Amino acid sequence: MRLELAILDIQDVQFGEKTTINDRVLYIHRQELRELLQQDKRLSKVDIELAHPGESCRILQVADVVEPRAKTKGSGEDFPGALGKQGTVGEGSTCVLRGVAVVINNQSEMHDMPEAEDPMGDIIDMSGPGAELSPYAKNHNVVVLPYPADGASPDDYKIALKIAGLKTAVYLAKAGRELEPDEGEVYDLPPLTEVTQGIEDLPKVAYLFQVYCTSYPAMVGEPILYGDNIRRLLPTIIHPNEVFDGAIVNTYQGRGTETYVIQNHPVIKDLYRRHGKELCFAGVILTVSRYTEPERERSVAMASNLAKSLLGADGVILTKASSGAPDIDVSQTAQRCEDMGIKAVLIMFGSESGIESGTVFNLPGAKAIVNTGNPFRLVSLPAVERIIGKPVILPSGVSADGELKKAPNWISGALDQEGHSKMVSVLY
Amino acid sequence: MSPGLRAVHYLNQFFGGVGGEEKASEGPQVKDGPIGPGGALQGLLKERGEIVATIICGDNYFAERTEKAVEEVLQMMTPYRPDMVIAGPAFNAGRYGMACGEVCKAAQGKLGIPAVTGMYEENPGVDLYKRAVYIVKTSDSARGMAEAASRMVNIALKLIAREKIGRPAEEGYFPRGIIRDERTDKSAAERAVSMVLAKIKGEPFEPEIELPKFDRVKPPAAIKDLASAKIALATDGGLVPRGNPDKMESYKSTRFASYNIKGVDSLSSKDFEANHIGYETEFIDQDPNRLVPLDVMRDLEKEGVIGKLHDKVYATAGVATSLANSKKIGQGIAEQLKADGVDGVILTST
Repeated sequence: MRLELAILDIQDVQFGEKTTINDRVLYIHRQELRELLQQDKRLSKVDIELAHPGESCRILQVADVVEPRAKTKGSGEDFPGALGKQGTVGEGSTCVLRGVAVVINNQSEMHDMPEAEDPMGDIIDMSGPGAELSPYAKNHNVVVLPYPADGASPDDYKIALKIAGLKTAVYLAKAGRELEPDEGEVYDLPPLTEVTQGIEDLPKVAYLFQVYCTSYPAMVGEPILYGDNIRRLLPTIIHPNEVFDGAIVNTYQGRGTETYVIQNHPVIKDLYRRHGKELCFAGVILTVSRYTEPERERSVAMASNLAKSLLGADGVILTKASSGAPDIDVSQTAQRCEDMGIKAVLIMFGSESGIESGTVFNLPGAKAIVNTGNPFRLVSLPAVERIIGKPVILPSGVSADGELKKAPNWISGALDQEGHSKMVSVLY
Repeated sequence: MSPGLRAVHYLNQFFGGVGGEEKASEGPQVKDGPIGPGGALQGLLKERGEIVATIICGDNYFAERTEKAVEEVLQMMTPYRPDMVIAGPAFNAGRYGMACGEVCKAAQGKLGIPAVTGMYEENPGVDLYKRAVYIVKTSDSARGMAEAASRMVNIALKLIAREKIGRPAEEGYFPRGIIRDERTDKSAAERAVSMVLAKIKGEPFEPEIELPKFDRVKPPAAIKDLASAKIALATDGGLVPRGNPDKMESYKSTRFASYNIKGVDSLSSKDFEANHIGYETEFIDQDPNRLVPLDVMRDLEKEGVIGKLHDKVYATAGVATSLANSKKIGQGIAEQLKADGVDGVILTST
């Protein structure tokens, strides 16, 4: 499959009379976009706000971040199964608006956070120490704030939120489809039967992408893989281009990952970068984390077998979905791979507890670990002039625009399970 | 870094040339200049510094009256106005290692003098002092003196100059348990790809997380007569009374709670909920028996399958809880269960 990303470097985003791109500025017809999103009956209304790098602005209750991308005409559907008709992606060309991100704000109640952070949710600070941690602070963010319609169930709303974000991403990127791109990136990987041609002596490395964890069950109708909620997904192989190009949408509960990260998947990008030079990119295996037996054992066995007997991998890299239970699957899968002669490396969050780490396993085959930094160390954030989202007062009495301490786990983009961040926890 | 650095070196009776085991009960004495291994240190310090004095003390003397011995050693070094203290290296000698650790810790803590020592990884002094004092890694015998001395002097000079001390693997010391988050120029993904390539080629690599050491607990014998046994329920799924009045932690727990369920046949969602950030708690909020199966246990009690269901249910939130706190919580719960004559416990986890 050969995918070309036609990238436009956007330097500013403003509201305008027409959604168009002129001189590296993206103009958004606010009302047109709102009307498009408000067609969804699960929503009562949708607000759109803009946040720019360097502003004293805090975006609250971030549910997901999506890069504006749209397939060029004839190249396929956008987010097939989720938005578009069923089909596959990963070929042809996709227009990308780099420097812009769609940030989805969630107006519903959060359950997965400690009480103290509950109403504020995940945040993005557009300036200050919080901004230094998050790559999203460097983007011009188009913040979409959908409100639930009366009678919409919580799940309906959560899915509608996600769809609104995807729709916005596509709508914006469509404005760039006819334009000359500023740069291009090509991702070209032949089928597995041909991928080693000419590079037979390079080590074959495969990537095991644990895309979601059943500790937070996907909702009925929640689009994750080509629109399916993959609750029962057994390990399978997928072309890396599909991962980049809209086949996978981050799950609603997927902490430590955003759709944006998946669209710019750091492990896949690096394997592509080194393909043909230091390694042969042997393929991508998708898994779902299970915490009951026999489901977990089945997943571990199938995934490691795909790596060994189908992809012929010499080495594998494993990443996990959020939550503690996935530590078990990934470490067991790593051990199983090692038992079969495949070298395994895991990417995990760093620990904070000094000499003893916070991981819940100790398997000899799962010792090669790269860490992405400590998710729970507190960072002091200054007060801000503007907030986008539901203004809330924390139980401590501090208001969300005030000075606060926040851990990277709740700063969108500060840490991610896929290893894009440039932080590491070091033991001294 | 100022020239003329004044160092005081601490040695035991053997390395100090006083004698072997038979001299281990000798008290501390001080001599001008370097003695024995101090020569190697002096050679490395060169003109940057001078070992102005060596304090020699018997290992047994030190071990048998540590507080007094430390005082004496500190008093002996003070007139020399040392800028730094180097102790040992103790290699694998246990009493010597403890003495070195103690001397360094006291010099730092009581006199504010930077200190460093060296030990072999199995020396009991390592685990006891590595957090307080820089302990360089040495081999298990004096054959490794040159490398040990080199590492010790390197750290000593950096401490004096207030230079940043690099990572344990780089500088050759035992990790002290301080975690620092640092920026890197390569993303975790890039480092992972490099690490897997190194692993495939059989090249050395440095894992970025040290896996915990779990101890092995021998399971007790199975309960032979369940029908007369008292069984308790416990969970790390974060069961709390509605509203979480005790403000139990929803992650990184440091404590546990117990709830009286005497006469209660089933946990009601009006009374209980789940407070835990590691899983979707909505299902438990709807019916807490899904987390702590009180309803089923009551049935089994009534049917005589178990003798009695214990009146208390124990709960904490396990997610992101440190190993040390997990042990503390587990031991705490076990003590109470044992005091209440409980025979078996079912721990439901998430």
